[in-house]
Amino acid sequence: MYTKLSLLFLFYVLSVSCLQAQKSFVTRNGQISFVATNDDDVSAVNNEVASRITNNGQITFSLLIKSFFFQYAEMQDHFNSDYLQSNTYPRSDFKGNITNIQSVNFSKNGIYPVTVQGNLTLHGITKPITVPGTIEVADNKIIAKARFILVLSDFNIHADRVAKKVAIQFNCTCQ
Amino acid sequence: MKKTLKYFLILVVVVAIAATGFVVYVYNKPHRNVAKEKAVTLTAEQLYHAFKDNEQQANQLYLDKAIELTGRIAQIATNQQGQTVIDFNTADSMVTINCTFKNKPANIKVGDSVHFKGICTGYIPDMNVVMNNGILVE
Repeated sequence: MYTKLSLLFLFYVLSVSCLQAQKSFVTRNGQISFVATNDDDVSAVNNEVASRITNNGQITFSLLIKSFFFQYAEMQDHFNSDYLQSNTYPRSDFKGNITNIQSVNFSKNGIYPVTVQGNLTLHGITKPITVPGTIEVADNKIIAKARFILVLSDFNIHADRVAKKVAIQFNCTCQ
Repeated sequence: MKKTLKYFLILVVVVAIAATGFVVYVYNKPHRNVAKEKAVTLTAEQLYHAFKDNEQQANQLYLDKAIELTGRIAQIATNQQGQTVIDFNTADSMVTINCTFKNKPANIKVGDSVHFKGICTGYIPDMNVVMNNGILVE
């Protein structure tokens, strides 16, 4: 009887400490921007990216296509209606893992190089991606950054007249 | 012959003017001005429930539309580009209505009841409904 109880107690203590050990860093106003690799004028920024990163390496982000702001309103209209069909596909989601999370020390300030692997859903298409980035630990917040190239046709986006590839910049300060 | 050349030159000039006009139009077309748009009036709670209950239907109703939201400011923050963002709480403690201002608003504080007019860009489940391009209205 005592063994059972003490086992139960041990299990309880372990599960509580596990819950405490996992820490989430969240933002609702992270930033993702992109620029066409062939034309600097084709660029936009989204300041309403929701992202969650946990200290065991899970990373997710979601953004709304209509939240991308272009300098040129006409471009923004074409982007939404002709290329991304944002009424049909209003959101893009990413779910993945930091594959070398053990090299990030969340209790020591610094910039740690990481590799992120996961699935990106964009324009109704889901594809695995692997991108290099950094995690900066700065007191009680973390700043996640990554830059990578996306080939638009991989996601069935046909904007050949404007751009075939875009450079994506991910920059999220999570607390 | 001279006449044909003259017409040809006139045609070239006309095409050049039209092309210039088109480029000027494309580069100068103004962004939406929420202040001048007619808005749907809702409470923060109503907007949240619309998306929570049926995202697809709410997208059809509210996506890209000007909405005037009434609610109490739960949080004031600044985004990474320096714009002011306010949050309205909803019945779900996980979900907020995240509202970004176009220009810095005058004197607002947490707890104030305000009318925020902006454009709804959509819903991120378990996170927030997003509004941007916002202004305060009386």
